[in-house]
Amino acid sequence: MLNSSIVKTTAFHSVIGESSILAPESERKKRNGLVELLLTALIDAFSILVIFLLMNFSSTGELLMVGKGVELPLATGDVLERHPVVKVEDGQIFLEDKPVTADGLVQALLDLRENFTKNRPGEEFPAVLTVQADRRVKFENLSGVVQASAQAGFSDIKFAVVLK
Amino acid sequence: MSRKKHLEFEINLIPMIDLLSVCICFLLLTAVWLHVGAMNVKQAVGGQAAADTEKKPTVWVQMGGEGDVSFEVRDSRVPARLAKMKLSGKEGRPDQEAVKKYALELKSVEPGLTTALIQPQAASLYEDIIDTMDTLKKEGLIDLGVTPL
Repeated sequence: MLNSSIVKTTAFHSVIGESSILAPESERKKRNGLVELLLTALIDAFSILVIFLLMNFSSTGELLMVGKGVELPLATGDVLERHPVVKVEDGQIFLEDKPVTADGLVQALLDLRENFTKNRPGEEFPAVLTVQADRRVKFENLSGVVQASAQAGFSDIKFAVVLK
Repeated sequence: MSRKKHLEFEINLIPMIDLLSVCICFLLLTAVWLHVGAMNVKQAVGGQAAADTEKKPTVWVQMGGEGDVSFEVRDSRVPARLAKMKLSGKEGRPDQEAVKKYALELKSVEPGLTTALIQPQAASLYEDIIDTMDTLKKEGLIDLGVTPL
């Protein structure tokens, strides 16, 4: 039944296969009636996928969780590292995903600094803050964060951007 | 015939497919589709007296309404026509081409100029601030700062 099937007679039949010196298809056909799947094409596709994914691979992983509907501005920025993250979403400020008020941000940042020095004595506090906000946000919503970070002694602010 | 049979061999591709499948699954799970970077901004902290700090040429960038951008170069000997400049906006947003041209001209006159302080307004869009900083950074003004309201 297999021998007479359309698959056997069309899809797996080729002129080159017939004339192969090493393994002519005609020889194989005579020996067994099994259909062999062409795995080479599958491996080719898999290999291309692996190469593409390897090129996109990032050893640092996802450092920021960008919320739905949040669009970061485009810029040619530097590499982002892991630092405390302040998010500004819908006029609300979040420090490491915990909502804080603009007034309470200074104290929350000072607490972060205190915890760091307590947990890692002798190590210098990096004093770097990552700010994540939607590109359409007005500066009046961000000004409080800039001011609070300066008051808490964070000398470096890293505005999260999507790399161009 | 026996010789022909000896040459006829097939590589077992199943382990290869298994390996590739595992690789694809791992890479798909760990893939980062959005490449996030950072625009670095420095700010003055601490209580050092202003008189003690070294005077460096600085350009103050004031972002006005309708995308207007005003520049003022301080502590530098740039020509008067460049020391103060107001660039009009384009479609309500800062004209980045004009900003780029001005920054390029400034850098050619004062190569030591690396500091820019952005003064946005309450209504200034975050995107416009970042775009302006990006343009300035590309032209060599690498020490950027943002002043709060």
